[in-house]
Amino acid sequence: MGIYEVLVRDFPFLLKGLGVALILLAALLVIGFVLGLAMCLIQLYGPRTRLVQWPLIAYERVFRGIPIIIMLFIFYYGLAGLLDITSFAAAILALGFRSAAYQSQIFRSAFQSVPTGQMTAARAMGMSKTRAIRYILFPQAMRYAIGPWTNEFSSEIKETSLAYVIGVVELTRQAHYIISSTQGNVLIVFAVVALMYFIVNKSGNSLLYGLERKLAVPGFGKR
Amino acid sequence: MLKSLSVKLLAGTGALIMALSTPTSFAQEPYTVGVEASFPPWAYVEAGEYKGIAIDAMRAIAEDAGLEIEFKDLPFPSLIPALSAGKIDILATGLTVTEERSEVIDFTVPWWETNDVVVVPKDSDKNVFTAVCCGARVGVQGGSSQQAWMEENVIPSDIDIELATYDSYIIAINDMTTGRIDSVIVDDTSAQEYVAAGRPVEIAGKIFIRAPLALAVSKGDPKGLLSRLNPGIVQLADSGEWQKIVHEYMPDITVPPVPSHMPEFVDTYQKPVAGLPELGN
Repeated sequence: MGIYEVLVRDFPFLLKGLGVALILLAALLVIGFVLGLAMCLIQLYGPRTRLVQWPLIAYERVFRGIPIIIMLFIFYYGLAGLLDITSFAAAILALGFRSAAYQSQIFRSAFQSVPTGQMTAARAMGMSKTRAIRYILFPQAMRYAIGPWTNEFSSEIKETSLAYVIGVVELTRQAHYIISSTQGNVLIVFAVVALMYFIVNKSGNSLLYGLERKLAVPGFGKR
Repeated sequence: MLKSLSVKLLAGTGALIMALSTPTSFAQEPYTVGVEASFPPWAYVEAGEYKGIAIDAMRAIAEDAGLEIEFKDLPFPSLIPALSAGKIDILATGLTVTEERSEVIDFTVPWWETNDVVVVPKDSDKNVFTAVCCGARVGVQGGSSQQAWMEENVIPSDIDIELATYDSYIIAINDMTTGRIDSVIVDDTSAQEYVAAGRPVEIAGKIFIRAPLALAVSKGDPKGLLSRLNPGIVQLADSGEWQKIVHEYMPDITVPPVPSHMPEFVDTYQKPVAGLPELGN
């Protein structure tokens, strides 16, 4: 059986691997979004005591400063004594927590792009700090954040390909299966896989850019 | 709208974290068998199904011993750590018995014996000596017994070679055919497979090490699996089933006797061997 016939026969399994990668991506981006936004808000508008701020800075430095492959090993093997988690859960947590560190910085810069006078003005009009963040700063900051967030999306879809090292059978691992069972064909198989990643990446980016255009306020914040 | 969206997001994350942390242990859960599923002919995936000698034999042994098993695929360098961390219960791949490994995991009686060979490109004029000397770049799989053997016996000597380690032998062979490395040290069983599959390689020579292959369980055998696996392996061979499985994947190979050579340094090969009291050193 030639490699092309094998690729056609095994294409459903590559798609299944892609599905696993996409679920992993969605889960890690949601964790990263919720935690990242929370951390950013506490960093910018929370209590300024060291007790609150230093752990946040430490978290962000640690998760941005350690290679993801090491994080994956730590979450899968290192936590084995404390918490028995599956490969998939370990991958979601390792990638999600790291994405939170990156996303907190995306949101921080987005909130800081909104002129500080707006907060002062909102407060002067009698809005509470929470209401000012929610109704004045948040809608503007989120619009600024879409661009850099698209970049985060692109890099995370590629990072999911590392989850195979702890036994998550995603797209890259499915490709390994074809390569090893046919004893070679590295270039052809990985070219197909690269194309699949590229298509997902491109469609995701187009969607996000579309969202950015859709949410754009006419005549305002044109960058 | 945004408010309800963020509430939904929060609720979703909460549910996700709950789902992730729910303990999955039941009273009678199947034993997890770790395999490296890109290591033909021992274990691989074809059309979405686990295949290979180790897979088929493991299934047969489990059926005879009444064990319920499920396979879990991990890259080769991760398998032994996974066994030590209790992520898998049994390791079933073409695993070579070595002294270092016997200190961290417990081996079953060996079911195979290999020798290593030097593989070179087909059109190469190198022989077994020139392929592993004089500035040659030699490929091995990371964490393999071949890497350990090379680092112990060749690297410290004044033979001038450079060792290149790979994630898998398939990639190493591929790199050799494109000329990035000069030769690959691999077990003879795999090498015969590459030649049979029509890859442009040939076997330049053999290194006799009589390395046994075996299954393995966690150190100290906490689940008492050795006494069930050991007789299972011997029974499989005695019934002729083992030879049938092997010949399905490697039609022309001579099947070594089971149990094959049992090195003295392995503590689980001391007399009496679990489940097979008449055997042992």
